[in-house]
Amino acid sequence: MNVDPITFAVIKSGLDSIADDMAYTVVRIARSEIVKDVMDFSAALCAADGQMVAQAKTIAQHLGAIPEAMQAVLDKYGDDLHDGDVVIMNDPYHGGMHLPDVFMFVPLFFEGKRRAFAVVICHHTDVGGRVPGSNASDSTEIYQEGLRIPPLKLYDRGKLNETLEALIKINVRVPDRVWGDLSAQFAAAQVGKRGLIKLLQRYGADEVEAYMQELLDYAERLTKAEIRQWPKGTYRFTDHIDNDGFSDKPIPICVAITVRDDGTLLVDYTGSSPQVKGALNSTLSFTHSLTYLSVRCVLGRDVPNNVGVFRCIDVKAPEASVLNPVMPGPCAARALTGYRVFDTMLGALAQIVPDRVPAAGEGGNSVICISGLRANRKPFIIVDMICGAWGGRPDKDGLEAVTNASQNLSNMPVEVMEAEHPVRVEEYAFVPDSCGAGHWRGGIGVRRAYRILAPEALLQMRTDRVLFRPYGLAGGEAGGPSRNAMVRNGETRPLPGKITMSVEEDTVIVHDQAGGGGFGDPLTRDAALVLEDIHDGKITPSYARERHGIVLGANGLVDEAGSQSLRRAKTAAARTGAGHGA
Amino acid sequence: MTRDQPAVRVAVDVGGTFTDIVVMTANGILHESKVSTTPDDPSRGVVEGLASLLAELGAAPGSVAEVLHGTTVGSNTILQRTGARTGLITTRGFRDVLEIGRIRMPDMFDLTWDKPKPLVPRRHRLEVTERIAADGTVIHPLSETDVTAAAEQLIADGIEAIAICFLNSYRNAAHEKKAEALINARFPDLPVTASYAVLPEMKEYERTSTTVVNAYLLTAMRGYLRKLEGRLAEVGIVAPILVMTSNGGMLAARAARDLPVMVVASGPAGGVIGAAGLGRARGDRDVIVFDMGGTTAKAVIIEDGRPSMTSEYEFRDGMSTSSRFIKAGGYMLKVPAIDIAEVGAGGGSLAGIDAGGLLKVGPESAGAAPGPACYGLGNTRPTVTDANVVLGILNPSALAGGRLTIDRGLAERAIKEHVATPLGLSVEEAAHGIRAVANAAMARAIRAVTVERGRDPRDLTLMAFGGNGGIHSVDVARQLGVRTIIIPPLAGVFSAVGMLAADIEHTALVTVMRLLDDLSAQDLSTIMARLSAEVASRLAADGYGADRTELVWQAELRHEGQATELPVPFDADGDVLAQISERFVEEYLKTYGYRDQTPLELVKVTVTGRGLRESRLDFKAMKIETRTGAARAGYRLVSFSRGVPAVETAIVSRAAIGAAERSGPLIIEEFDATIVVPPDATISRDGMGNLVLKIEGSA
Repeated sequence: MNVDPITFAVIKSGLDSIADDMAYTVVRIARSEIVKDVMDFSAALCAADGQMVAQAKTIAQHLGAIPEAMQAVLDKYGDDLHDGDVVIMNDPYHGGMHLPDVFMFVPLFFEGKRRAFAVVICHHTDVGGRVPGSNASDSTEIYQEGLRIPPLKLYDRGKLNETLEALIKINVRVPDRVWGDLSAQFAAAQVGKRGLIKLLQRYGADEVEAYMQELLDYAERLTKAEIRQWPKGTYRFTDHIDNDGFSDKPIPICVAITVRDDGTLLVDYTGSSPQVKGALNSTLSFTHSLTYLSVRCVLGRDVPNNVGVFRCIDVKAPEASVLNPVMPGPCAARALTGYRVFDTMLGALAQIVPDRVPAAGEGGNSVICISGLRANRKPFIIVDMICGAWGGRPDKDGLEAVTNASQNLSNMPVEVMEAEHPVRVEEYAFVPDSCGAGHWRGGIGVRRAYRILAPEALLQMRTDRVLFRPYGLAGGEAGGPSRNAMVRNGETRPLPGKITMSVEEDTVIVHDQAGGGGFGDPLTRDAALVLEDIHDGKITPSYARERHGIVLGANGLVDEAGSQSLRRAKTAAARTGAGHGA
Repeated sequence: MTRDQPAVRVAVDVGGTFTDIVVMTANGILHESKVSTTPDDPSRGVVEGLASLLAELGAAPGSVAEVLHGTTVGSNTILQRTGARTGLITTRGFRDVLEIGRIRMPDMFDLTWDKPKPLVPRRHRLEVTERIAADGTVIHPLSETDVTAAAEQLIADGIEAIAICFLNSYRNAAHEKKAEALINARFPDLPVTASYAVLPEMKEYERTSTTVVNAYLLTAMRGYLRKLEGRLAEVGIVAPILVMTSNGGMLAARAARDLPVMVVASGPAGGVIGAAGLGRARGDRDVIVFDMGGTTAKAVIIEDGRPSMTSEYEFRDGMSTSSRFIKAGGYMLKVPAIDIAEVGAGGGSLAGIDAGGLLKVGPESAGAAPGPACYGLGNTRPTVTDANVVLGILNPSALAGGRLTIDRGLAERAIKEHVATPLGLSVEEAAHGIRAVANAAMARAIRAVTVERGRDPRDLTLMAFGGNGGIHSVDVARQLGVRTIIIPPLAGVFSAVGMLAADIEHTALVTVMRLLDDLSAQDLSTIMARLSAEVASRLAADGYGADRTELVWQAELRHEGQATELPVPFDADGDVLAQISERFVEEYLKTYGYRDQTPLELVKVTVTGRGLRESRLDFKAMKIETRTGAARAGYRLVSFSRGVPAVETAIVSRAAIGAAERSGPLIIEEFDATIVVPPDATISRDGMGNLVLKIEGSA
């Protein structure tokens, strides 16, 4: 087509801002904290043929899953989609991710023809099943995880499907919240529709459609142009999830990335763990999603977020593996596996573009779910997500208290949580010394401690990196481990990374998240930066001495001579002990 | 200063490049001046410029009745990190709330992002034992020894100001008040801000951040205002200073000293207040304000004569984007502010081609120095101004009434090298491209305040000002389907003009957070009585009794369980409960396109008390003394649209435009602004001196 660069730029930002408008609408009117405060949702626009053309600045992990979910909708309904239809689905075995993530697809019509789809995904507080929050890592079949919704019309030509509404409401623990969040998804799609129609009116429907396709080609061109610059070859990396909570067996994620001559990648997960008993299985669409976004993170900033990028990446994941499970494998806690795919991918990409990849971050947000009945018998469910720390980077420290880069989560304000639920947060703070040491250190981890104020509650924790700590790069050390504990009557007892258990009133649950890995040799870190961290209480003097070889004098300043000789000694010791690693 | 004697009123708007001064003499005539801003001490430029304009007008300094002031001291202090060394005292277990923030990042997939460093480093965030529950009950009493010890340690560490923020203090401020009193008693000269006095609202990060910003700015704002008063006194001006707040009110300098967080976005507010006043005077009650300067363009929506407000915004180094739901890029200020969408597209914005071959404009700017390529001061990259010069839209030899020499050849060369050749376009086509991309960005800012709220810009009038507003207004309007554009007189200094129309304002709020159904009329009137008493006493302290006071009420509601409220204005008379619920339901449907059946929650009630200033600018009776030497009538070739040959276009002054509609093409050149009337637009002048452009063929 004859591309007018100006019209192209205007339509591109027009589509982006429509997607952002949709996302903004969700935030404003959703009901559950996980959507409105934690921001676990996304919004996107797809072309009439279902190819995703724009995504709002929301959850990156959802990005690559939309094409398969969209395909499932098209497979089922084909041309039987009309103005006023609203299709929802959540089934991981129909292109979904895990049951709490409910996709909504709204075909957008203009002048009698389907021109696009508005897509809104929200993580719902509860979709029924065995445990509150529908998010447990210790389910063994998808049937335990809640209500499965294949692609179904929630609205048919503008008319509400009351059967489906009733079925959803009766199957979930907090129907008001779920319905409120579905309404927010619906409202967002309406906002998307208004925006798109304006764009179509302004530039003509056929013209916009042609530019949508060009936008995909443009993304593909940019992606291929970059990949062609990368050194050809196959690059391998393995990282682990601690275990699935049923056994102590580590779960390896293995990747081999092949950089091909034509500017495309083959990403092969052969060697990764077979499908596991617990709910960590990541369906293929989600595995694809994490693969795409990992690559996207090392591409230039200007590459649009659309299917054009995905065209350059072929993904192979063995069937019945943890990255491509078969029915009835449970997958509620699959996000954790996704995070580890991201870490694994970055570990391999670090060999390809070492100046663009940080050491491992915290390993994904932790999920702390506390539920039960209030004193007045009204149920409550808190789905809290804890973030996060980045690994040290090739040219600077890792960030702390930040979303995992494969998401874009926020946090639930303590005051909101306390006002709405029977808990009191006792601490929300950094954990000193939890950073992986390096020339550039990892971010330090955060702690969140909850005192249970309900007569009894069910606690579910999905945390990881207790055993397999976030890796360092280029000589940097691993980040500090994650830890869980409960405190009752003054006694502290450790808890495992993944657990579902009842807790009594007044128990305090403490979660420490892992810190990010370090980048580069910690013995070369600028002493002034080490001193800053000591002053800020982010690291202790003993950490500085052991990890960085920095000693302080009596005046509280760096003892230059003492530090130099300690560093020399440590460097020499490391040389002799080479091969043992940090 | 007595209020009875014939007096001169002064408005000064300090911008990044220029300080704009408008003086209203006793006969009601407005006079303008523009001087260079003096960044080392902005008060110097203000006072020198003012003194020289007064001298030019033959007005005695002693006749100045008030100095209205828009200042960037707050924003610059944050940008340049020159605020007070600030310490924070907070609840045990929560010293990191300020640094943790809200976790999100402004852009996805960006592993190189830098999170803004907190204004208070961890070492200066100290914890004390105390705890208040979500319902306001005391779980742990405040440890007074902890407070004293923390303050002493902070002083020993060289801290110059202290912020206090305790968890759940929005429910019960007793501990904060006690801590504040203890520190005041121990260190009487130390500036202290406690969160209850700045923002008695839920959400600990937002409240802590706002409190910290306030404490951080205390010394800078106090120092600046003291200097300004001193310099004004030296030249014989002893009038009270009123500072423009972020929400477009005026705050006595005495109050601004303690609440600098209220005036961080002081700069752009004046123009918005002016636009609202001018719109009301003209009968245009629904207006899009479009203020385009050298570095950024700003958009604000005015509905029913009132600028749209926001209850929180983020102050950041870069530009705010249309992604308003992102919390990450800057310092959270949860204070009432005019809801301004800002994009990095101004006359000085740089244009170039990205790696994918896409034309980009801004947010990087050539600034005032070296400025656009055509200034010939060393910048060789093309800017929006260069595109306008190449197309003949801007005067190809001189700007600012001849004060600034322009080299059209340099503009051409820059565009050719950086845009035209790489894209395979002619220089003229490329220049149109630069304009179009900049226009698209500006339209995005306008969409952020219209479409995003479900408001159709086609129903609105565009009011354009700022040095570049009149140059791009027609194209921007056209993208949005806007048909009428108003360009006010003194468009280049309109922010200062607007201040002359502002009122003294004090705002008070109560966090209610109760279901509307559980609330009795009595509950609400108790809340309202408390609020009106509070603003009345603050207005009285500024010398405004009940006879010169007006109260404006607003309720913020949401459906139970939602995170964000929709504000609805209400009248204090009659059945307030019914009124607010009706208005909310209507507003909700308008914004989100569906009706929700769940219960309503009243989150906040806010009252704004206005002290009605005497001799406020009356736009209907506005009289202006124009600076001469701006327009030199003549003709030049102007290329208005891509692919259409340039047309010989008359260059005229505003005075040449009368009440009768005149068709384009026309260019109006003024002292500090240029106004473009393309061939398919018409222009006329209304009785107040505004230029009115009508566009045909808008979508």
